[in-house]
Amino acid sequence: MEIKEVSIAGTLESSDILVRIEPKEEVGIEIELKSSVEKQFGRQIRKVINNTLETMGVKSARVIATDKGALDCVIKARVECATFRAAGVTQNFNWEVIG
Amino acid sequence: MDYGIEDRRIFLDDIGERKKVELFLNNEGIKLDKNLDYTVGVYDSKQLVATGSFFKNTLRCLAVSSEYQGLGVTNTVVSHLMNEQYYRGYTDIFLYTKCNTAKFFRNTGFNEVARIEDAVVLMESKSKGVQEYVESLSKKRVNADRVASIVVNANPFTLGHQYLIEKVASENDVVHVFVVSEDASIIPFSVRYDLVKKGTSHLKNIIIHKSGNYIISSATFPSYFIKDGKTVVTTHAKLDLEIFKKYIVPALGINRRYVGEEPYCEVTKKYNEIMKLTLEKDGIECRIIPRLEQEGKAISASRVRAYIKEGKIEEIKNLVPSSTYEYFKCRAAEGLIEKIKNNIGRH
Repeated sequence: MEIKEVSIAGTLESSDILVRIEPKEEVGIEIELKSSVEKQFGRQIRKVINNTLETMGVKSARVIATDKGALDCVIKARVECATFRAAGVTQNFNWEVIG
Repeated sequence: MDYGIEDRRIFLDDIGERKKVELFLNNEGIKLDKNLDYTVGVYDSKQLVATGSFFKNTLRCLAVSSEYQGLGVTNTVVSHLMNEQYYRGYTDIFLYTKCNTAKFFRNTGFNEVARIEDAVVLMESKSKGVQEYVESLSKKRVNADRVASIVVNANPFTLGHQYLIEKVASENDVVHVFVVSEDASIIPFSVRYDLVKKGTSHLKNIIIHKSGNYIISSATFPSYFIKDGKTVVTTHAKLDLEIFKKYIVPALGINRRYVGEEPYCEVTKKYNEIMKLTLEKDGIECRIIPRLEQEGKAISASRVRAYIKEGKIEEIKNLVPSSTYEYFKCRAAEGLIEKIKNNIGRH
């Protein structure tokens, strides 16, 4: 999936995460993470973001995430939503892949 | 954790609601901005405990009542506004706040662009917005002894602008011309930019830029939490020039800035005054050039617009370069002329 425009998904409420995805020219995923639990779960959050993007076939993107202690499933959902928005996909979601 | 807190839009057209917001902000030492597109309130059982607004892509008038600080209410306000901004198509979002509260917004993903001590901090949602802007600018850097810059709105491009740019070009090795890209003027940016380009095509040592978000844009125009009009302009000017000094000057190696003398507009006059003060302190020379006159009156874009408004296209012939004149004569400009005729705003 190609990231065509800037998009955001999520909120800054406790246990949520605000994900912003931007197009990036070079191939690769760049993650900038700000988290209230960075020390404890920073690595895990990055891993979930990376895995989600990989599953969705995103080759290049810059992700800016402001986390407020979101669980993995929440992070995944927000990244998926932001990716669909950024790629301009509004219907016919491939539920098998993202599920 | 549910404190029974809910957020909903506030319509400021409702005088009762407006009064409540005004009073609430005044208690926190902030004035309600006059130009706001959207306002949100956070309520705890009908009691207003926090509010925030935006105008175009800038969040402003943000406040949380002191008893509710530390509960993450700021996050609710910012989330609500950010999502609304996104639906409206704004993705590069700015935020104004007071110096002592900037740290709370750092936790919501905003990064500081510039600050004026004891007055205001400008923050942005992009993590490297201004740095990327500087990087793109520095690609056009030309090293020379005398590098000048000038900012024009050119609404539309007149002989006055042409004279000013010609003069600057003759006194310097390189001139960076910034055309204000904010579409707040009646004449759209693409037209203004094009006419600047055509009207200066005979000059070889100038580089034309789009001013972007960081020079005289709606993002660099704060006008709240400041008591009166004069302070507003002073703070705005200081912030705008601080950004210019901190990012644009080093990116392009600028050592001079030029402006046309301002005989009419108080705001621009004040801006020029502060520019001289701030920039010269750091060794950047400021030159104020007297306006070019025609029949004893200074040539100004507002005069040109006034003629267009009256339908006297022929009258502008002596005030604008042939490229601008030709543009307004051609069919493509008909729609724009109609728009100018119906315009009642200042610009």
